[in-house]
Amino acid sequence: MKPKVAFFDFTGCEGCQLDALNLEGEELIDLLNAVDIVNFREVKTEREDNYDIAFIEGSISRESEISRLQKIRDQAKVIVALGTCACIGGINCLKNHLPMEEALRIVYGEDAKNYDTIPARPADAVVPVDYYVRGCPPITAELIKVIKALLLGKKPDIPNYPVCVECKMAGNVCVFERGMTCLGPVVRAGCNAICVTSGRHCWGCRGLVDDPNIDSEKDILQKYGLTVEQVVEKFKIYNTYAEVTK
Amino acid sequence: MQENSVLIVDDEPIVRESIRDWLKDAGYQVATAETGEEALEMIEKQDFSVMVLDIRLPGQTGITVLKEVKAQRPWIKSIIITAYPSAETTAEATRLGAIDYLIKPVAPDDLERLIQETLDSVGREPTVTTEVEIRPKPPVVEVVEVKKSLVITKDSLRFMVESLAKEMEVVGVKSRHGKYVYDRISSFEELCLDYDVTVMPPTKYLLPARETLLKFKAGDESKIEPVTDASPRAIVGIHPYDIKAIELLDEVFMTSNPDPNYIARRQNTIIIGVDCLNPSPKSFAPSMGTHLTETGFDLLLTDIGADYVITVGSEKGAELLTKCAQVREPTGDEIAKQKEVRDEALTKYKLSLEVPRERLPKLLEDSYDDPYWESRSSSCLSCGSCVMVCPTCFCFDVKDEVALNLKAGERLRQWDGCVLVDFAKVATGENFRHDKASRFRHRIYRKGKYILERYGKFGCVGCGRCATACLADNASLLEAFNAIAESARIKEAAMRIIKEVRPETELYAPRPAELVKIKELTPGEKVFEFRLKDGKALGHWPGQFVEVSVMGIGEAPISISSSPTIDGTFQLAIRNVGDVTNALHNLEKGATVGIRGPFGNGFPLEALEGKDVLFIAGGIGLFPLRSLIQYTLDHRSSYGRAILLFGARSPAERLFLDELAAWSQSPDIEFHETVDRGDETWQGNVGVITTLIPKVQIDPGKTIAVVVGPPIMYRFVIGELKKRDIPDENIILSLERRMKCGVGKCGHCQINGVYVCQEGPVFTLAQLRNLREAV
Repeated sequence: MKPKVAFFDFTGCEGCQLDALNLEGEELIDLLNAVDIVNFREVKTEREDNYDIAFIEGSISRESEISRLQKIRDQAKVIVALGTCACIGGINCLKNHLPMEEALRIVYGEDAKNYDTIPARPADAVVPVDYYVRGCPPITAELIKVIKALLLGKKPDIPNYPVCVECKMAGNVCVFERGMTCLGPVVRAGCNAICVTSGRHCWGCRGLVDDPNIDSEKDILQKYGLTVEQVVEKFKIYNTYAEVTK
Repeated sequence: MQENSVLIVDDEPIVRESIRDWLKDAGYQVATAETGEEALEMIEKQDFSVMVLDIRLPGQTGITVLKEVKAQRPWIKSIIITAYPSAETTAEATRLGAIDYLIKPVAPDDLERLIQETLDSVGREPTVTTEVEIRPKPPVVEVVEVKKSLVITKDSLRFMVESLAKEMEVVGVKSRHGKYVYDRISSFEELCLDYDVTVMPPTKYLLPARETLLKFKAGDESKIEPVTDASPRAIVGIHPYDIKAIELLDEVFMTSNPDPNYIARRQNTIIIGVDCLNPSPKSFAPSMGTHLTETGFDLLLTDIGADYVITVGSEKGAELLTKCAQVREPTGDEIAKQKEVRDEALTKYKLSLEVPRERLPKLLEDSYDDPYWESRSSSCLSCGSCVMVCPTCFCFDVKDEVALNLKAGERLRQWDGCVLVDFAKVATGENFRHDKASRFRHRIYRKGKYILERYGKFGCVGCGRCATACLADNASLLEAFNAIAESARIKEAAMRIIKEVRPETELYAPRPAELVKIKELTPGEKVFEFRLKDGKALGHWPGQFVEVSVMGIGEAPISISSSPTIDGTFQLAIRNVGDVTNALHNLEKGATVGIRGPFGNGFPLEALEGKDVLFIAGGIGLFPLRSLIQYTLDHRSSYGRAILLFGARSPAERLFLDELAAWSQSPDIEFHETVDRGDETWQGNVGVITTLIPKVQIDPGKTIAVVVGPPIMYRFVIGELKKRDIPDENIILSLERRMKCGVGKCGHCQINGVYVCQEGPVFTLAQLRNLREAV
């Protein structure tokens, strides 16, 4: 029996689901041979409420989303958070720095009274989450890796070391040596340091490692010329929910 | 006829094509021929101003071609090139009208100048030349020998590098973002030979960040195939400190348990070094004795201004020079110049060790509890940068990757590092180096002590890369060595001839074994019986372990629970705690697993003979100990008393119930048992295992205690045994660690300087007294 897989979107851009479709033809066929996709709004209109593995995309930012996610938890054997918003809250959490009424007013103006909102949070702030496919957008290969691990019954091998490890493996000249700053030393690897390799720096979209040395990273960012405010801003983009900005 | 048309006749493609390329670049019309016959055919159809002619050709020789040309096209000017100059051929060629003579390998400048002079002279000179003078040449070295220093011009070096590039990948140092990196070289111009230091060391070409060890198919057509990469490669421009680092890696990967993947690359790599004349500001290579090297390279360059001194370090280097370069003996001035530039470079190092490096191991040994480790590591990010950029770091992780069909896959190895959080973490969740300070200290001990003691060479070559890469500014080994400050002599490792090392090709390939019997011990523990499919016995000692593979899931170290006195099969008792053990628990009779080993030292059987043996097993510590108990009972007359103390947490967690019952009745063994917490079914002793020890009569003069159990148990049991006056040498323990490779390379199982998979897992308490990380 092939496991039934469902995708559910919460607050987010649905880019993660789109990216999941970004498979080579052959890989997509192999995937469809391995699992039954029963729910996937970006791909098919038919829906089924019977599934084993639920991928959760987006963060939770309304009361109604809490109960919806709880129902999914009751049904699914395994819940996988897909993408930064679901895994760590992501950029949606930037609004948590404002009073909710003000956030509503900025976004909806006079129609604000027709909407409700709560501080944004990752999926595991609402229900237990079994596995995480991190990144904004997630790395398709990692999504496949997690699916394979689920099929094999082993823990997915997601690094618990920082981006620096993969950045060095890629042979990059350190971002700090090129006059920029970077969150790589405290952010979880698994992306092969794709942003640095492409000439940029790490924004922290995969969230922090299990035991990040935030104090040391903050000291380093200041040593390389950032003000305390700029350091906080740097962490805020994706990692507001992790409370490192407090 | 075009005035600048040149015909090149040579059977060696490298020579023919490179001369063609130079001349084309210089604006000549160039045609080439491989044989004398082909050349004469071309001359029939088309006229040329100049012919560059090799003497030794297959078929018609150069001399024959010259004769024909002299008879039919006397106006073509011929220049002879040959690798085998002799007085006879010179005279003969001159007689036949050759205007000059060059000895291979030919420097492009010489040839171009000669052709230009020849063309310029056309029309100004009488067509018949009577006497041709052979141009004076620098003394050309014909026999290149190892250890010899010669001189090579920059042009000839270019020719050599470009010739190599036609045969293999050439990598060298390039500039990137204002720093230097090793990368593939596509033209000689890209190659930088006066850099300070590269971001990553060249060792990545011998031990890549990720590589495939095995390819496998799981399922019905299961198959395991070791994979190695033997593509030839030349690395040009390695500094001496990095050459010294490669010599260390050779020691690690080519001595005991020769590593097939490393050796395949190493044997197919040409190393062309260059003296470092502009050291990096963070380098302290002279303090580590690595700023110069006399070994470890095939060729080594020293930039002495106009030319390079080139030192031949191996037969391979000598052959390369003979084939692709024009070299000559150095003059006295040039030898003096080489010394001068090296001496001047030495004055440019700003940093140095404050103690002789020989004192470092003792110094470190005495500083284990120094508050420095805790305080200096507080800003450590555990980001791995220091170990990733280190030329002497070689620790690795091994993992399986499978295709979506879950059948085929690869077992990969990937760089790992002892400063990373999970490096020493085992499946049960225990992390044997969980805090930053112990990881930080361990790295520095490896660099200044453990590696030296194990391999005879320092684990630091003073390149300064770690100090540059560390954003928190605390990874500098120099600072650490200087901050603490002592001694031991460095043993001089014997020079090894690399090409003679034979790899153990099956080192990482498990042998298939069939699961012949499964018995449940408790809901979470089973005992599995296996038989190797090749029909051979496992050949183990009690106390050794094997690496068990479930292809696609991974590999795990498991101690052997049965005595080698059982014929044909062996048993592994396994608790379901991790991925591999979980997969094993799901297997059914008849399934195939992979086995590597046996590994480790096992229990010291000879030392036990004639003694009273006190076995103390806590929980699943009985798994490895059972092999020794069975062995002892099978050779009962060789031992004195046999006493077994067994403790389980609860009656439900007791193991091997049939055997416990048999032992409790047997006259061959005195058996005492306890549980930490009893229940209504339990009539026996209640209390932790240490409560049994006072109940046993012990003769401390002839008792050896063999203790196996969880880490927490050891400290208390040792305390209790010491109360009974058993000396440290007679207390034997078996330790658990994360034994990933089993062959003493990957680094995960290390306790201070000791590899548990090699020197362990069985130790006497006396040995462990010096291993601070052990218990």
